[in-house]
Amino acid sequence: MNVPEFSSAPEKYPARYGPRANRNQERCFQIAQSFFKNGVARTKARYERWKELEERLQDPALQPKREELYMQLRMSESKYLRFLRTKESLSNYTPIKTIGKGYAGEVKLVRRKQDGRVYALKRLVKTEMMSHEQLARVRAERDALAEADSDWVVKLYTTFQDNMSLYLLMEYLPGGDLMALLIKYQIFSEDVTRFYAAEMVLAIEAIHRLGFIHRDIKPDNILIDRHGHIKLANFGLSKGFRGDRSNGRYKENQRPGPSDNQKRNSVNIDEISLTVSNRPQINIWRHCRKVLAYSTVGTPDYVAPELFTGRGYSFEIDWWSLGTILYECLVGWPPFASEAAYDTYTKIINWRESFIFPDDVQLHPNSIGLVKSLVCDQETRLGRHGADEIKAHPFFAGVDFGTLRHVRAPFQPGLTSDVDTSYFPVEDLPQTEEFSPPAAAAGHLANGATDDPLKPDMSLPLIDYTFRRFEKSFM
Amino acid sequence: MSNIFSGINARLRGTSNKPASTKSPISPTSDDGRLNSSGGLSQKSHSSASLSSKLPPLPASPSLSQTITMTGSGEDILTSYHLPRPLPLWLNPAYARHIVKGNFMTLSARPKTVEPGEWIAHHVVEHYRNLWNFVRVIYEKEEDGTSICNPTTCPKMSAGTNHSYTWLNSRFEPIELPAIEYIALMQRWISGKIDDTKIFPTEPSGVSFAANPNIGNSTLLSGTDEWIGKRSGFPKDFSSICQTIFLQMFRVYAHLYWAHFTEPFYHLNLEKQLNSCFSHFVLTATALDMLKPPALEPMQPLIDLWAANGTFPPESKAYEYANLNAGNRLLQMAGMA
Ligand SMILES: Nc1ncnc2c1ncn2[C@@H]1O[C@H](COP(=O)(O)OP(=O)(O)O)[C@@H](O)[C@H]1O
Ligand SMILES: [Mg+2]
Ligand SMILES: [Zn+2]
Repeated sequence: MNVPEFSSAPEKYPARYGPRANRNQERCFQIAQSFFKNGVARTKARYERWKELEERLQDPALQPKREELYMQLRMSESKYLRFLRTKESLSNYTPIKTIGKGYAGEVKLVRRKQDGRVYALKRLVKTEMMSHEQLARVRAERDALAEADSDWVVKLYTTFQDNMSLYLLMEYLPGGDLMALLIKYQIFSEDVTRFYAAEMVLAIEAIHRLGFIHRDIKPDNILIDRHGHIKLANFGLSKGFRGDRSNGRYKENQRPGPSDNQKRNSVNIDEISLTVSNRPQINIWRHCRKVLAYSTVGTPDYVAPELFTGRGYSFEIDWWSLGTILYECLVGWPPFASEAAYDTYTKIINWRESFIFPDDVQLHPNSIGLVKSLVCDQETRLGRHGADEIKAHPFFAGVDFGTLRHVRAPFQPGLTSDVDTSYFPVEDLPQTEEFSPPAAAAGHLANGATDDPLKPDMSLPLIDYTFRRFEKSFM
Repeated sequence: MSNIFSGINARLRGTSNKPASTKSPISPTSDDGRLNSSGGLSQKSHSSASLSSKLPPLPASPSLSQTITMTGSGEDILTSYHLPRPLPLWLNPAYARHIVKGNFMTLSARPKTVEPGEWIAHHVVEHYRNLWNFVRVIYEKEEDGTSICNPTTCPKMSAGTNHSYTWLNSRFEPIELPAIEYIALMQRWISGKIDDTKIFPTEPSGVSFAANPNIGNSTLLSGTDEWIGKRSGFPKDFSSICQTIFLQMFRVYAHLYWAHFTEPFYHLNLEKQLNSCFSHFVLTATALDMLKPPALEPMQPLIDLWAANGTFPPESKAYEYANLNAGNRLLQMAGMA
């Protein structure tokens, strides 16, 4: 035969196409990949729900309810498929109040028009996170929350985006956060501290088991549910290891340390000397603390030294943060508190010298012992072999970790309605009816993304941002 | 190639030995073997006994229908397709590969626990998003205003020289359009349907499963006052609207293959992605009775090839619609038989 059977394959030459086509190529590549990945995951989950029902129905006592239970499952599968098809947009929600503000975004209490339910909706403005690192944060938060299905992690229902913003729709935790509690009570008794400490141990253990390092454990990221139990939020800095802990040591230095210029300004480690007898100063500190929490810089108070030194870090950095929070609960401020963030950095790096318990605070040796075994070198830090070694510390003697989430919490929010925001500093936050307008005008967002086909491109980390959780409440 | 199916297949296989409901608890008679083809995920064992009801012109026995369509030699059948020679790159088995392996039917077989209307609606939306992910590559303009598919490269909406498609204007007259304009019109039309909650209801409270257990197949319903998704609020013409959407999406895929497989998808290393999405599309659309053989014609040789190389599992409808001899001949030509 003189004609070849098939047209010959030319040499691949992607550069013949323009930048837009090449950008679309990357996105197409990823979307196709995740389409199958998500499809398989959903199929598997659906199948497991069915199997689970079949297993339940092995129980002869349930036979009379067989039809009904099947009907229920079918209805909930239908609702989930409808949820997947629903175009999410801000207009599906009525804003009620701004309840939080922080890195690159704000959190509003909203009511979903369709079902009247109340949620917390976090918005991240795209223009405020144009750098790759910031986009990676948004991605990390979505991935961690989407993957986590734990009582200890704030539940993420769905994520969506429009040209301006990314949105995370979460369950509303009406008890506020641990920072607000600390502002209100200033210090906790050792018993109260023990409760929150024990719950934090379980919460951190849970996310580590899921393969995530949180890296940003601090009081304002510890939320309180309607019964007074805690949940972790704000996974923007988290690192996922997909359960592979063996090579989960990160060498990169993610957080900027103080610049040389800043270092020169921070010779005096004990600039502010806070003591319990010094209440007004505590409150000044707390005020700064709140302001810092709302700024984009964030506070370094709870960050482990290995994050700055670039020596590499792993899961144990979250245990350091736990130690600093316990210190704050017991003493009234975190161990490296300073007026300026760079002083805090310096104190953390020099923790061997700067970490001290004030003389005038009376604490049980077990409390001091636990904090000291967490706020210490990563090689000797308690928890590096797993959470059990922390649970076994004498400080926790008598704590039943198995039933903790079901015991009465020391502080239980008294709520008057489903939109009660009395545990949030709503008066300190700018209250706008709609989400406050982002810094830059929409015109700057020619490359803004929507999930709409044929709409302009979106940045790669945001591809497949949309997430929809199958909910028991569909039942 | 990532075998993302392997995990699930292994699992499903592992559990299928258990006393998995041989009788469906809800709709013992609903498994007509079509929409429900695998009777849940774990069983691959559906018979094709109901083929006759789908293909009136063919004899009832599936084996007989196979003999009929397979009489010609592979070469004869390929010749009857009037394909250009040398054959297009996408018919070369070396370029008909995928980004995933495993049984694609895992994703399209309707699970017992899902209502047929919702299942169709789900797939319409999913495939639409998928398809436009590829269309975007040829459709979007560079800074200089040019797009890869344009009135010069594609003055007609075509799938090779044998097939071209016209659009109906407002006076219902067929008009010939450059492919890119046709695609834009179609995009608007489809999204108009999908976004219309009277056709694709999204209200969670509207779901119902007090359904007629016999509903499972559009062809069974003709002439009755039942239709797919009726009780969940899908309109009477839901099924036919979805058929049109699938047909239109098929045409776009056909254009992508005939006009743009090499330029740009092959050059951009997206040919495997395109193959996987399209084969999943064909499997789903045929399993749901949304696409039937005459419409598949422009892509018939690729369907034949995918049946022969194992992409389409033997229990799938796409496989039944394929001509194995032609597919095997293509494999042979590539030295892969
Ligand atoms: N699901 C929620 N329910 C109630 N309050 C929340 C919720 N999510 C966040 N908040 C409040 O908003 C604050 C900021 O949210 P967070 O996710 O930590 O974002 P940021 O990155 O801005 O710190 C939290 O400290 C908390 O007070
Ligand atoms: Mg926060
Ligand atoms: Zn074209």
